[in-house]
Amino acid sequence: MAPALALLAVFYAGALVGALRVSFLPLGGNIGDASPAAWQALFSDPAFVDALVFTLRITAVSTVLAAVGGVLLALALRGRGTGIRVIGALPVPVPHLIVATSAVLWLAPGGLADRLLGALPLDLIRDSGGIGVIAVYVYKEAPFIALLILATMQSLRDREEAAMVFGAGGLQRAAWVLWPAIRTPLVLGSVIVAAFAIGAFEVPLTVGPNYPPTLATYAFESTQGDVIAGEGRAAAALLVSGVLATALAAVAVRLARSVEGG
Amino acid sequence: MAEPLRQRLTQAVLVGLFVVPLAVIALQAVADSWRAPSLLPQQLGWRGFEVAFGTGGAASAIVNSLAVALLTTAICLLVGWPAARALGGRLLPRNGLIALLIALPLLMPTYLAGFGLTEWFIRLGIDGTLAGLVLAHVVLALPYAILILLSGFNRTVDELEEMASTTGAGPLRRLLWVTLPSMRPALGAAALLSFLVSWSQYGSSLAVGAGRSTLPIVMLPFVRSDPQVGAAFAVLFVVPALIALTFAARSQRSPL
Repeated sequence: MAPALALLAVFYAGALVGALRVSFLPLGGNIGDASPAAWQALFSDPAFVDALVFTLRITAVSTVLAAVGGVLLALALRGRGTGIRVIGALPVPVPHLIVATSAVLWLAPGGLADRLLGALPLDLIRDSGGIGVIAVYVYKEAPFIALLILATMQSLRDREEAAMVFGAGGLQRAAWVLWPAIRTPLVLGSVIVAAFAIGAFEVPLTVGPNYPPTLATYAFESTQGDVIAGEGRAAAALLVSGVLATALAAVAVRLARSVEGG
Repeated sequence: MAEPLRQRLTQAVLVGLFVVPLAVIALQAVADSWRAPSLLPQQLGWRGFEVAFGTGGAASAIVNSLAVALLTTAICLLVGWPAARALGGRLLPRNGLIALLIALPLLMPTYLAGFGLTEWFIRLGIDGTLAGLVLAHVVLALPYAILILLSGFNRTVDELEEMASTTGAGPLRRLLWVTLPSMRPALGAAALLSFLVSWSQYGSSLAVGAGRSTLPIVMLPFVRSDPQVGAAFAVLFVVPALIALTFAARSQRSPL
């Protein structure tokens, strides 16, 4: 117990403190030189505001679509054989970069979807709306959420039959038997998906637009420009994304609890 | 709709959605020429892999990635086991709080984790080393390992161990013959996830790695600039993940 907790606590806190330190103090600087300059620069940078809005929009849309898709997929896979369930879970172990590679191949202008359909009605890859990024996240995370839900669905058959015996219709069964059972894994899965999308990095780098960046790619681009001031601004932007992810998780868990409580 | 027909339809949709798009990557990897509007490549060849292993530096990246992922997996299992055991046995007064502490790193954006750790790793002189990469990956993978192992330590395992000790089995025999075999499915799943988290890691590796290449790091630029080489990398990238998946699936068949 102790070594695991110590390791996690030291490195988790270490990462946060390290980022905080860089955001207030240039690398190798003395503690007396600490200043909020990087934070001031961050909040007055219009590109940061754009990145924040873009990140939140991608996160919200991908999470909602992945949750809806995950529930639908779980319903389709429910009670099916092992083979078909494996196919339904295929994207889960596949790294994001591979899904992004496939997205470029299929969805880019002149890609396979374009060739099959004649022409796609809108740009899907490197588009300013981030549709490509959202597509990759939904493709990868909907099966993940479906897996979490399926694990709890296995035990529902008896309860649903009981409800049917008492004359409950399809909608009633969905509201009283299915929904209470899948709510917790659905919320937990969505929180993980949202946290991942807030930290989005390699997916927007490959299929995202050049502008706006996400918070993580904004941070990366900052370090590529002005080395010293850029590092501080990058650290501050990343801390904002970390706080957002944690706050979102706290709100979601609290909401799920209060619904459960009454 | 008749039931078998519906079933077949679901199957077809799923294959079309999840198998075909990913499988076509393998075709693209060996398509030296595949210009629009053709639906099939005009010319097959090994240019993708030649560039990947040539200027792409795939060989050393694969070795680095494998070493880091295997070490990360081993450490996660070794460190995660006693933690899950203690949490599962409810030996601790404030389990909820500890579980929350364990889950917190899951919410940390990976680039933030790597970025913050780099600050320390530079002072320790381990930035850009294998050890630095492994440490950063362990922080991100260990929570998964603990949470999965935790689900394995249940009443049945406790009861089996008790039975073993009443029949006179010592601690070592109990571990080898009872605990490890009955924990095999959980161990397999925990190992798989630890491996995959490390293997697919981009953000933290970019920050901590300081130029030491892992597979995702060397692959990314090609996905944008040269899709055939990107696809060749994707093939190299997915094979170990699938092998790990097969091993984990095998361990799910519990012997007890």
